[in-house]
Formats: sequence, structure tokens, C-alpha cells
Amino acid sequence: MIGEPIARVWHVTLGIGAVLLLLIAYTILSMRQHRENPDDKTIPSWSQLSEGVKKSVEVNQRSNERWVVADAQATSLRLFWGVFWGVSGSLLIGMLMGCFAFVEAFLYPPLAFLAKIPPIALLAVFFVLAGTGETMYVTMIAFGVLPTLAQTVYLAVKEVPAELRYKAYTLGASHLEIIWNVLLRHVLPKLIDAIRLQIGPAMVYLIAAEMVVGDVGFGYRIRLQFKLLNMSVVYPYIVVLGAFGFGIDYALRKLQAFVSPWYAKGY
Amino acid sequence: MGRIIIFAVCAAALAQTAFAAKPPVFSLAWSEYPSWSAFGVCHETGLINGAAGKLGSIEEKWGVDIELKEAEYDPCIAMYGAGQTDAVCITNMDVLNASLSRPGVAILATSTSYGADACIVSSAIADVKDLKGKKVRGLALSVSEYCFARNLQILGEDPAEYTFVNMDPGAAALAMQQKQADFDAIVVWNPFVLDTLNQRKDCHVLFDSSSIPNEIIDMVVMSESALQKPKGKEFASAVADAFYALNKRMADATTRDDTLIALGEKFSNLDLQSMRKVVQQTKFYATPEEATKLFDSAELKDTMTKVVDFCVKMEIVAKKPVVAFGAGATGNLVFDPAYIAAAAAKP
Repeated sequence: MIGEPIARVWHVTLGIGAVLLLLIAYTILSMRQHRENPDDKTIPSWSQLSEGVKKSVEVNQRSNERWVVADAQATSLRLFWGVFWGVSGSLLIGMLMGCFAFVEAFLYPPLAFLAKIPPIALLAVFFVLAGTGETMYVTMIAFGVLPTLAQTVYLAVKEVPAELRYKAYTLGASHLEIIWNVLLRHVLPKLIDAIRLQIGPAMVYLIAAEMVVGDVGFGYRIRLQFKLLNMSVVYPYIVVLGAFGFGIDYALRKLQAFVSPWYAKGY
Repeated sequence: MGRIIIFAVCAAALAQTAFAAKPPVFSLAWSEYPSWSAFGVCHETGLINGAAGKLGSIEEKWGVDIELKEAEYDPCIAMYGAGQTDAVCITNMDVLNASLSRPGVAILATSTSYGADACIVSSAIADVKDLKGKKVRGLALSVSEYCFARNLQILGEDPAEYTFVNMDPGAAALAMQQKQADFDAIVVWNPFVLDTLNQRKDCHVLFDSSSIPNEIIDMVVMSESALQKPKGKEFASAVADAFYALNKRMADATTRDDTLIALGEKFSNLDLQSMRKVVQQTKFYATPEEATKLFDSAELKDTMTKVVDFCVKMEIVAKKPVVAFGAGATGNLVFDPAYIAAAAAKP
């Protein structure tokens, strides 16, 4: 029957099976490529991959740094500040739009339009307007996620049942108290959901920008090592990126459960 | 019965000729660069047809089918390394790493950088010593960094005392043109060199690659294994032949400007005047004689030693590739002038 539940043991086995299948497929692919050319570096064998991993985590002779540590630090800081300012801005704008019809009428059209422009296309504009330093990454991510998040906040505010507002007013709440105690509580879990969805795009902008102007960071390393054909470094980096995104998602889910435990959701 | 046999024989013969008339396909990956766009222009002018299964005049002459694959430079290198193309347009420096996993033969030298890679500085910097403590931006581990390090060496400076910071040449040129803070020096290549100098009259060239002629070489490299395939050598000769045919069009006064404009079309938004300068700074090895002279010179051996040492020092290569010279030599990278000679011998 459609939608019939399965036992937990099946969940686990199937999950492990899928990962194993991926690993086996990779091994076959790599072995086939190495039969063609034993020195191939484009689909590295497991021993080549372990070399690449070693190279990324060991202290590098020339730069005196561990690549993966330096890159993770740079990329996560940029991502954090970018998302931080994007969320702060969108919360402010979204709240204002949800509360005041004047602001709504003024900001809704440009926001709806901007939300549809992929920031990658704006890369050159950001280089021109915000330079090529750290500020640029932060500005770019902030502006990249802001329109969508602001719309989310604004729609969430609009969704709050009018009865709740009337009730709060009847009980003698001030405007600020309503924003703080009623609207914000309602908006927060939805905002966190939206952030979870926006982390993906934010990473896309960030990696793309790092590929072009970075001198440290995941995007920089991947481009450089790709050009040097060191795919044994590139693949592990991609896995790290995946884990990175997964970690952020997990943390946001926990945060959501913490700030609004009433907002129960699957996953 | 007899008729059927005759028919069968005829059909078989037809199939045979149809099969024989289908020459083997070899691919060449190229990116936009003055002397490499030559192959794109060859396609436009019908000398070769870049699509597989269609032949241009030169392809017919050599009995091979050249498939052109255009991409950005970095993906071209990856394509070659992954065995997805038989030949690639690449510099003598970038090919070293790829040659470790896929031994190759330099079948043709197309041009050398003679001012096309330059260190552009603001008026704040009058002498190379002023660069100390300043960030010099350019693409790391590329010919830009090589050009920078070699020029410092020539000027008697120690590259270790200078800071080279990675940035895409296009982005670095843009930032320089905008006069962004902390931007006093960039090392970029054309069209960004001319573009930046055009936009910022207060900037000047501190040094460029004209001090190291024939050291940064743009060339076509073909994998050793593809060369050994049937008709592989004909393909190599055809590539050289096509390149020289286009150079003849550039030498001819009636087709010169037209060809230059075609070469520059996707390369940059520089005008004809600037494109004339571009082809001076990217000096073409326009005749088989020039390229053969380069391949046979002792200077090239010296250059390759320098380039290999640089790559080892900068950890661009994991181990030292064997560079060999002349027909029949073996190594990771072999400079073999035989195909240039073959193209010249069959006009």
C-alpha cells in the first residue's frame, strides 16, 4: 500500500546500503579509469585519495598551515557573517512590511523582483560595488539571502491570525509587546526553516566568489587543486563541504526545537 | 543468381569505400587566447571543420577528422588530464603536471609571451623595492607567478621577500581599474594588461615577460597514446598545417585585419589597434622555421629546466617530470618538431 511504514531495521539497512552502493560504484569507476591509464589522477584510487586527504590535513611546508583548517575557518566566518547580516536585515524589513502597510507597499515590488535574481549573475556587480576583500563576501551573501528571507518573515507576520492580535490588544499590550510576544514567536520557526533552505544558495554564492577572488577558502582550494588536476584533494573537499552543510542544517534544526518547541515538525 | 552476386559485391564495395572514407576523429581542446583562437578561426574560414563527422580542406588533405572542443582554460587542462581530449592548447608550464599522469608530446608551439604577462603598478611604486610589504595580486601557481618570480630574480631580488596573493586576473584588473584600496600592483595577462593600461593612465608596467622571451610558451600538446593510434601523426601534422595556413592569412595584407578581428572577437573588447599590439606581445611562431628553431635550441632546454625547478619548488608538481627533446625521445613531455616539419613538407 502507498505510504505503508517499514520497520526501523529496514530504514538503517537501506540507508547503509545506499552509501555502500555509492562507494562500490566509485571504486569500479576508478578501477576502470586506472586500467586505461595507471597514472590517472582524475578519478583517484582509494590510496591516491588518502594521499590527498593527508595533503589537506597536514601542515603545509610552504604556507605553514593546515589547508582544511585555514579554509574551513575562512569560509565559515564569511558564511556566518553574511547570513547573520542577511537574517538581521530581513527580520527588520520583513517585520516592518508585515506590520505597516506603507512599508509593505513601498518595499514589496523591489523585493519580489530582487528575490528572483540569482546573485551569481550579480557577482561582477558585487566586485565593483563592494571590492574584493572580506566585506564583499559578507555583503554578497547578506544581499543574496535577504530578499527571500524578508519575504518569508513578511508572509509569516501576515499569517498570524488577527484574533491573536486583538486579544493581545484587549489584554492591554503595547505595539512593541505585540511584536515581541506574539509576532516574533510566530515568525521565528518559519524563519529558521527558510534559513535552512537558504544556506544552500548562500554556499553557492560564496564558493563561486571564492573561486574567482579568494586566496583562502573552500572555493579557492577547489579551483586551484582542480587546475593542478589534484582530484585526490578535490573530492575529499567536496565531502567536507557536504558535511559542513549537513552540520549547519542539523544545528539549525536543534535551534528551532529549542526556541519554539511547540513548532513540531518531521525533519 | 548472378545478378544477386553482382549486387552483393557492389554493395560490399560501396560499404567498403564508405567505411574507408570515414577518417578517424581526434579532438583538440582550446580556449580563447590569441594564438589558440587561431583554431576557432580556422573553423570559421573552413580550413577545418570543428564538428566530428565533417571535414574542412585541411582535414581532407591529411585524411583525419579534427574535432574542436572549446572551453575555459582550466577545464581544458582537466579534460586533457582525464583523457577526454586527444590534444590540448596549453602552456609549457601547465602541461608539466598533466604530463605526470598522461605523457604528452608538444607537437606545435603557437606563440610566446613577449609582454603579454605584465606587472602593472600604480604611480606610488617607482622601483621594484617599493613592492616589498605590498600585496601583488595575480593568479597563483600560474605563468603570472612565474613571470613575477623570474623578473625579481633577474632584478637581483629574492622572491621570498615579496607577497604574491591569489586572485583571478579578470577580478584583479577590475579592482585595479576601480582604484580599490590596497591595490598597488597586479600581475595579469592580456587582454587585462592592455585593458588596465587603457583605463588607468597613471599606472605603468614595472616589468613584463619581454625580459624572458621564449620562456612562457603557448603550445599544442597531444597525448603520447593518441599519437600512436592509426592516423595520430597525421592529426598532429594537420593541426600544425592549419595553424600555419591561418598565419599566412595574417601575413597577407588583404586578409590581415579581418583575421585579427576574428582572432580578437571573443578574446577581448579591444579594438583593432590594440589587437595589433596584442599579437606583438603574444609573439606568434608564425612559420615552421621559427617553431623548429625553438624546438632545436639549447635555450629551450635551459628554459624547461627553469620552469620544472619552479614547479617543483612551488609544489605545482608532485615529482619532477622528465622533459625530453627531439623525435624518438621518451619522457613525460617530449618536444618533437617532426609534425611541424611534416606540415611544412606537404604544402
